[in-house]
Order: sequence, then C-alpha cells, then structure tokens
Amino acid sequence: MVATNQKSEVVFKDVAKGAYSKKLHTVILKDCSLNVEAGKLTVLIGPSGCGKTTVINLIAGYERPDHGEVLMDGQPVSGPNWERLVVFQETALFPWLTCYENVMFGPTARKSISREEAHRETMMLLNKVGLSEFRDKYPVQLSGGMQRRAELARALINKPKVMLMDEPFRGLDAMTRKLMQEYYLRLFEETGCTNLFVTSELEEAIILADKLLVMTNKPSKVRKAIDVDLPRPRDWSIATSERYREIKAEALELLHAEAIKGSVASGKTEIDLKAGFEKLKTARG
Amino acid sequence: MPNNTAIYGSQFWMQFQRKFVNWSLVRKILSMAIFILFWTILVQFIDYFHQIPTPKAVFLAIFELPVPVVLKNIGISFFRVLGGFFVGVLIGFPVGVAIGYSRILNHLIFPSFEMVRPIPPIAWIPLTVLFFINFESQAIFLTFYGAFFPIVYNTMGGISEVDICLPRAAMSFGVGKKLMLWKVILPAAMPQVFTGMKLAMGFAWILVVAAEMMSNKGGMGYYVWYNHAVMDYPHVVLAMGIIGLCGAICSVGVGVVGNYFTRWQRFV
Repeated sequence: MVATNQKSEVVFKDVAKGAYSKKLHTVILKDCSLNVEAGKLTVLIGPSGCGKTTVINLIAGYERPDHGEVLMDGQPVSGPNWERLVVFQETALFPWLTCYENVMFGPTARKSISREEAHRETMMLLNKVGLSEFRDKYPVQLSGGMQRRAELARALINKPKVMLMDEPFRGLDAMTRKLMQEYYLRLFEETGCTNLFVTSELEEAIILADKLLVMTNKPSKVRKAIDVDLPRPRDWSIATSERYREIKAEALELLHAEAIKGSVASGKTEIDLKAGFEKLKTARG
Repeated sequence: MPNNTAIYGSQFWMQFQRKFVNWSLVRKILSMAIFILFWTILVQFIDYFHQIPTPKAVFLAIFELPVPVVLKNIGISFFRVLGGFFVGVLIGFPVGVAIGYSRILNHLIFPSFEMVRPIPPIAWIPLTVLFFINFESQAIFLTFYGAFFPIVYNTMGGISEVDICLPRAAMSFGVGKKLMLWKVILPAAMPQVFTGMKLAMGFAWILVVAAEMMSNKGGMGYYVWYNHAVMDYPHVVLAMGIIGLCGAICSVGVGVVGNYFTRWQRFV
C-alpha cells in the first residue's frame, strides 16, 4: 500500500468566509476554528447548506479565507496541491479517460515518478480497489460504487498527506453505501493518513469517525467536537454498542437544535419540529 | 385458466419471428412506403397539387440524369461547403474557446456577436457583393458565415459549462494554468463542440444552395434553379434529393470525426 509516513494536521484559526454576488452577501463561516488531527479520521457533520463544502474548499486551496488562517503543519494553505486531495461529492473522474488513465493522471501530470513506476503503482492500486478488470473502461461504464473506488485510487496514488472526502458516498444505494463505508474504513485503518470526511448522515459519521465535529447553521462554526472512542478496526456491528448509542443521542440533540434554529431562520414554525423531536426522544427512552 | 396450447403455439411463432423477421427494419421500410404513398395520393388525387411530379416521374428522371453535369455541380457545391465550413472551424473554434474560457475576452467580443447573430445569414447576400469580387469567395464567405455562429456558440457553451470539479481536481494533481485548457477543459467540452459542428454543416448547405440560386456559377443550388427555369420539375425534385443526400453524407462525416474525439460518449 502507498503508505504515507508523514502525518499532517490542518488547523482553522478564526476563519471567516462569505459568498458574494451582486444581490446577496452571505456569511458562510464565522469564527470557525477547528482541528483536523494528524493520522486521525475527522468527520464534519452539520445541517445541509451549512458550509461543509466550503471547509473542504478552503483546505484544498480552491478558495481563500476572508479572515483568519487555514494552516497545514503550521504553514498557511496557499493553493491547490497534491498534498491535499479531494474526493468530490459526485464523481469528478475525467470522463474522457479510462479508469487506468484516470489513476495515472496525477503522476504523469507532475512527472513525479517514472512511467513504469506509475504504471506499477496504478496496477497495484486498481487491484486493491478491485478494478483491475475494469482498467480500460470509461467512468460512465462503471457503477456508482466502482466510480468512487476509482476516485479513491486516483487520489491515493499521489500519496496525499490529507484526504478530503466531500460527501463521497452520497447518491449511492443503501447497500453499496454500507459496503463503501466499510471499505473506506479498511483503507483508512491501513494507511492511517489524515482524513477529513464530510457528511450529513449521522450514522455514517459515527461509524467512521475518530472525532466528530458538529457544525452550526450559517454563519457556521464548530459547535462541539465529540471524541468517538469506539475501538478499531470497526465494522457495522458496533452500531449495537452502548457507547455508539450515547454518541448518537448526543450528536442528534445538537443537530436537531441546529435544524430547528435553521427552520426558524427560514420562517417555518418551530412548534411541530420541537414537539416531534420530544415525542421521538420519549419513544426511544 | 390460461390456454396452454395457445401459449405454446404462440411461442413457436415468436421464436420464428425472432430468427427470421427483422421487425425494426420492416417498420422503417413501412415508414418510407407510407411517405411515398402519401406523396402519390396527394399529387394524383388532389387537383391543387397536380403540377408536382409524382414519385414515379422522379424515379424515371434518374435514368435521364446528365451524370457528368450533376457530378460537376456536386463537386462545386462540396468545394464551397467544405471551404466555408473549414474556415468556420478554423476561426470559430478558437474564438469560441477564447470567449468561453476568458471572461474579459467574452465581455469584449460577445456583445458584438449578439448584435449580428439575429440577422438571418441569407440577408447578407446583397452585401457580400461589396466585400468579394468573385462569386466563389462570396459563396465561401456565406457558408463560412452560416457555420461560424453555431461553432462559436456551442464551443463557448461547452467550455463555460465544464463542471468546476474537473479543473479543480486537475489543479490539485498539479496541472498548471497553461496545460489546463489542453488537458482538461477542451476534452470535457468536445461533445458540445461537435454538436456545434454538426449544426454548422447543416447551415453551410442551406447557405450554399441559397447563394448558388442567386447566380449562374454552377453548384447544386444553381442546378435546381436551372431545372426550375426550364420547368423540368421531376429533375428539380431529384436534385433536391441529391442535395439532401450530400448534406447527410457531410453530417455523417462530421459525426465520424466527432465520435473519434468523444469515444467515451458512446457508453453514456
């Protein structure tokens, strides 16, 4: 496996970021401080539209903070770099390249390693993600799960220091999604490189995370960091454990509070949601 | 209760059909037959259309076709169409790339295009006489003009609509600004570029026929007009058919080249 020995951490210091258009100025992030620990799997969860993708874009270097600092190993992030690679929401494989050519893309673009070496590593990675038979297929010929695996391989061949996962399993069917989560867990536990995983699914978040960062509504910041001290290696069987349920209840409460705040802000009534949530809590005991 | 004998009986018939009858081909031939039948009925039984040649007359006209003359005219039209089309690609494609890729160039160039574009290309015919001394260059200019805007607009659209994730991913992998266009933007835009080229080829044929009808310098448009002048309507219709065939051949040609550049699209 392409093991990354060097482990990096990413730190946000009082980051503010807005979106500006002619008519509407929105503050997406404000006073946002967070810490993506080295060699850990940090999961960012929050209500939809709260700026999770903005966090990813800031770390990847696609956007710059309006205020504050985004630091990687103490150095400010200055632009996109192979050290910080993103696996995008929907597939961002290059549709005109085959699976093999997609994985080869990074090394050949940078000419970082010789062609033979790149070829060898590509074949190894394709083998690892179970796509060696599909090396000459175009992305459109692959299923959703295969596309995500190809994308993981395309990122991993560059030996990134930080992997940024932007809701990578969204849009997959339930079964494939579960398989991909377990697959991703194995991959993470093997490589141990710093990962930031963004999701809006709580169960997915807990099963994956070393640390769970719960975000608030816009303008967003990290409301609470929950340590997920479940044993590794993990699989879905831990979903029955007591600790899992505790963490879930805690996170759920925070998320619901944010969701209700969000619905108030957008003018919907508070009563129904709150009553519903109380009912849910009593029903669950 | 279902009748089993009926099911087994029909199963034999279904297998027979599957092996020996190509229904999709039958339906396609039927479609053409209905078209010709409709045409015949229209011309033979409705007095209003009695001057239009019957399918039979057009078919018989094939045997009286002055083949060398027609071939020469086809060649002339092809030359003009391909000439205009290639000049259109040569100029239109880079311009489309420029105004799709650069916001500044877009603001500088696009508004003036928008002013000119609503004018139907055929309305340019009188003015081309001022620009170009001989008919050949006038005709090529008109076909170029017909091809130019579809190419520019589709190239521009294709480039500006590339999913932002693709250049972003490439940036992370270390593709610089200079190579981005070549390695990511252009390949991603290719399908729409070729949509534009197909449209452009259609416009080029429209324009060439219109231009040739205005003059006596040969070409299939002229050939149609000449037969109209001598009131030989079966040959008019036949020539129309030949023009359609030529247009289709050109369109297939563009399609073949396009398929090469967008191989991956075959599987979509």
